[in-house]
Amino acid sequence: MIFAEGMIADLLVMLVCVVLVFVFIYRARGGMKVPAIRKINGLEAIDEAIGRATEMGRPVHMTSGLGAVSDAETFAFWAVLGHVAKQCARYDTRIINTNYDEQVYAINEEIIRQAYLEAGRPDAFNRDDVRFISNWQFAYAAGTLGIFQREKVAANIMVGYFMAEALVFAEAAYQAGAIQIAGTTATAQLPFFIAACDYCLIGEEIYAASAYLSKDPILVGSVVGQDWTRIGLFALIIIGTVIANFMADPKKSPLYVFLKNK
Amino acid sequence: MRKELPLALTVLTGLWVMACNYLQPVAKLDLFTKTEHWYVISGTAAFLIGTINLIMVHGKNIMRRKEGWYNSAILLIVLFAYSIHGLIVTQNDPKWQWFWDNVWTPVNSTMFSLLCFYIASAAYRAFRVRSKEATVLLVAAVLVMLGNVPLGKLIWSQIPNIKNWIMAVPNSAGMRAITLGVYVGAFAVSMRIMLGLERAHLGSGS
Repeated sequence: MIFAEGMIADLLVMLVCVVLVFVFIYRARGGMKVPAIRKINGLEAIDEAIGRATEMGRPVHMTSGLGAVSDAETFAFWAVLGHVAKQCARYDTRIINTNYDEQVYAINEEIIRQAYLEAGRPDAFNRDDVRFISNWQFAYAAGTLGIFQREKVAANIMVGYFMAEALVFAEAAYQAGAIQIAGTTATAQLPFFIAACDYCLIGEEIYAASAYLSKDPILVGSVVGQDWTRIGLFALIIIGTVIANFMADPKKSPLYVFLKNK
Repeated sequence: MRKELPLALTVLTGLWVMACNYLQPVAKLDLFTKTEHWYVISGTAAFLIGTINLIMVHGKNIMRRKEGWYNSAILLIVLFAYSIHGLIVTQNDPKWQWFWDNVWTPVNSTMFSLLCFYIASAAYRAFRVRSKEATVLLVAAVLVMLGNVPLGKLIWSQIPNIKNWIMAVPNSAGMRAITLGVYVGAFAVSMRIMLGLERAHLGSGS
């Protein structure tokens, strides 16, 4: 047996996803029409938030929460960070980035520095505005709260993986008078962000950020491929639900046997 | 090479992790666990980067006597004193443990308890009859909150059942749908990273 036990179904679903993503990337590269990403209010509001901070002369704050360097959410954050840092460099707006993870901090500093370099303002980059706070959850929350209050941030952008400190950040930034855009894949924290923030990116909307902000047709194509994969999985769920409800012994159905790979 | 080398390493590592999970001969050797150990070790080295940044930022605050510089002084004193003390006596020492139990833990709990007040203020702002969706949110939130306390059952005996239904059916359905989308999205992001399409982490916006 060349494949590990119980992994054949996973591998096939993964291959289907790979094929779909490749098809749409190929279409985008060939200049063929690719469906557009629908309007995502939270991502549209990023430029508005930066503009507000610029007019008020107050900083923009960005954080990726508790995400580690290996998390997909952190990669989504980096797409937003690159865009925001370039805009802040262009408009001479201060950007403060607080970090929970040391490795993420190191990469964030490099992304922001590079953004200032590309905007032709390397002298304006302030290394002290990219800070590692702590890798203990509430020590990180306490440090960031202090920054909100002292610096009076005008815009707070939180994209990544958050836990209990999510609401602490959202409320503290509200008290500081900041416009807030938040996005997370942590379903337990989404209600808090929706209640407390001005704009909220729900779940996978944060993964569309790189394609949405760059408008790169190849990235848009990969997002479309991902959407088609999800449609396929929903179809599988519906078929499974029908089988589970209408068959006498669902565990004998070929679909169940295949998925369990026993 | 500044961008090509990290991309090549990313692709090779991604293929290696896939092989460790999907290919039987490789999975049998349990090499993925050993790979994870390398990841932990490299993360430990990064710990120094964070400490150096803390020292630089707070050291500058102290040298320039910025507002609240004494907080930075306390941070650095505790950072060094507690770390060095812990390295000498280990974490089993009662004095080291005393600081952890009587200072760190209460401070941590205090920060966590802020959530109680923040939930109340967020609920006060969010639960308004502004639109149809907001009204549904308000009604559902009130029913769930009442269902979680004895008062709900006193008002009407069915409120706990309604709350259980809300949590078990529409709430779970929504969360599972979001979770499904998140997993597919995370996979697509991983693919984009391995194909070199996602380059934000390399410091290039283009």
